[in-house]
Amino acid sequence: MNPVVSVTEFYFKYLRSGLVLKNINLEIEKGSFTVIIGPSGAGKTTLCKAITGIVPYYTGGDYAGDVKVLGETTKGKKVSDLAMKVGLMLEDYESQLVSLTAGEEVAFSLLNHGFPPDEAEERTRRALEDVGLPGRENYQLDELSGGQRQRLALASLLAVHPEVIVLDEPVSAMDPDGGESLYKLLGKIREEYGTTFIVVEHRVEFVLPYMTNLIAVKNGEIAGQGTCEEVVSRIYEDTELRPLLPDLWQIKRGLEISTGQRFRLWRSTEEAAEELRMKGFGKGVRA
Amino acid sequence: MKLNAFTWIIVTVAVTAWVFILPLQAVATILVLQLVLLLYIKRSKTMMAAIGGLGVFTGMMILLQLLFGSPLNVALFGGLRMLVMTLAFLCMLATTRIQSIAKALVDRFHLPVEYAFMLTAALRFVPNFLEDSTVTLDAQSCRGYSNRGNALKRLLSYVVVIRPLVMRAVAKSETLALSMELRGFGANTYKNMPKEKFTAIDVAVLALVVVLSTYPFWKRLLGT
Repeated sequence: MNPVVSVTEFYFKYLRSGLVLKNINLEIEKGSFTVIIGPSGAGKTTLCKAITGIVPYYTGGDYAGDVKVLGETTKGKKVSDLAMKVGLMLEDYESQLVSLTAGEEVAFSLLNHGFPPDEAEERTRRALEDVGLPGRENYQLDELSGGQRQRLALASLLAVHPEVIVLDEPVSAMDPDGGESLYKLLGKIREEYGTTFIVVEHRVEFVLPYMTNLIAVKNGEIAGQGTCEEVVSRIYEDTELRPLLPDLWQIKRGLEISTGQRFRLWRSTEEAAEELRMKGFGKGVRA
Repeated sequence: MKLNAFTWIIVTVAVTAWVFILPLQAVATILVLQLVLLLYIKRSKTMMAAIGGLGVFTGMMILLQLLFGSPLNVALFGGLRMLVMTLAFLCMLATTRIQSIAKALVDRFHLPVEYAFMLTAALRFVPNFLEDSTVTLDAQSCRGYSNRGNALKRLLSYVVVIRPLVMRAVAKSETLALSMELRGFGANTYKNMPKEKFTAIDVAVLALVVVLSTYPFWKRLLGT
């Protein structure tokens, strides 16, 4: 395994709070698409912030253990330097946009990190193209729709080409079509650039075709981690975490338990219907 | 013809000084030039509203001065001065990108980047703030907020709108600060922005500024 992020025996508490993260041990493989699930308040966002060095070096608080990004510890590193390796898109993406036009927004990080204006311009053009906003450099932010602004926030991450991109509920404000299209875009970017994605997501259905790994967080602890195939059964057994699994996987595990048969890890309803038909689960099974 | 942001800042500062040193006719001429420039740049409803608003404000200033016993000519000249000064800023904002002004303030006037960034951040968040205020007003209205009654009652009841609005603004500003940190905001922010050209027109305008700003000296020298 070639981990790009490794967290070892990490504990963290904010100032004047109890332990938010407890004994976190995890490794994120290069090029993987990891989804973090967990109930509200479980510590998912704090975990994302720990991976990007914001916790504890920006927010303050007490911690123990170590977080390594691309083999280097985050200790003593500036958040902005780490951002060149691991980009973060916060849940409140609107407030994350700092400039007046789309082009300036994407170029902001590049210019801050000392890229020459010509290169910044070229990268900006490319990043906007990648997220499906070609030629929108001079658009004012209020001329873009909510979904387009979310894509713009992603473009500003992509422009600096970080190896790891962390997204905290990126489709929380999107309709189903917008959510599907954003994840399709992330899947394409992963294929094209080999970028590692870590995503906090409640609506896992959107990510099904792209996710490779799953991490479940509960009460600040890792309740399960590994490839999807490895952890689904364990997460299903936890009644609090079970509803967070996609419906298809809940049905799959339910059927496996009740029939004693094994099924593939379905990535779409079509795939599920096909396998069920093949295994003789009634003629009426349709996607 | 496009002036450099640095030139615009100098002109704006100079105009605020000129209204005190130049004679009435010259100040009135500047006013006419400003209005022509503004209407030439953008003859939109917003521009007319901005000019109209400033006109009304000037009228109120004149009235106040008259009420406090100033002679009519002093009150009129005072109002004219204020109008010309504010229109100078309006001209600068209408002709120059706010980012260019911020860059010029950092590069040429050594303003700390944090203060310069406040200019763009303020403009960036005005629409968001207005949107939030509408949402908060609607939400509180659903919970029984009403703006009926006398002025004092309305002012006091408005606290239920202001409080969540301020909390939201604070939360957003925290996210903005984190986002800026993540994206390396600092000394490089304005240094690496593309540089604006300084043309012969800028030199000519700055020369004119020097000549007009030293008007009292020329006046004494020429004995007029």
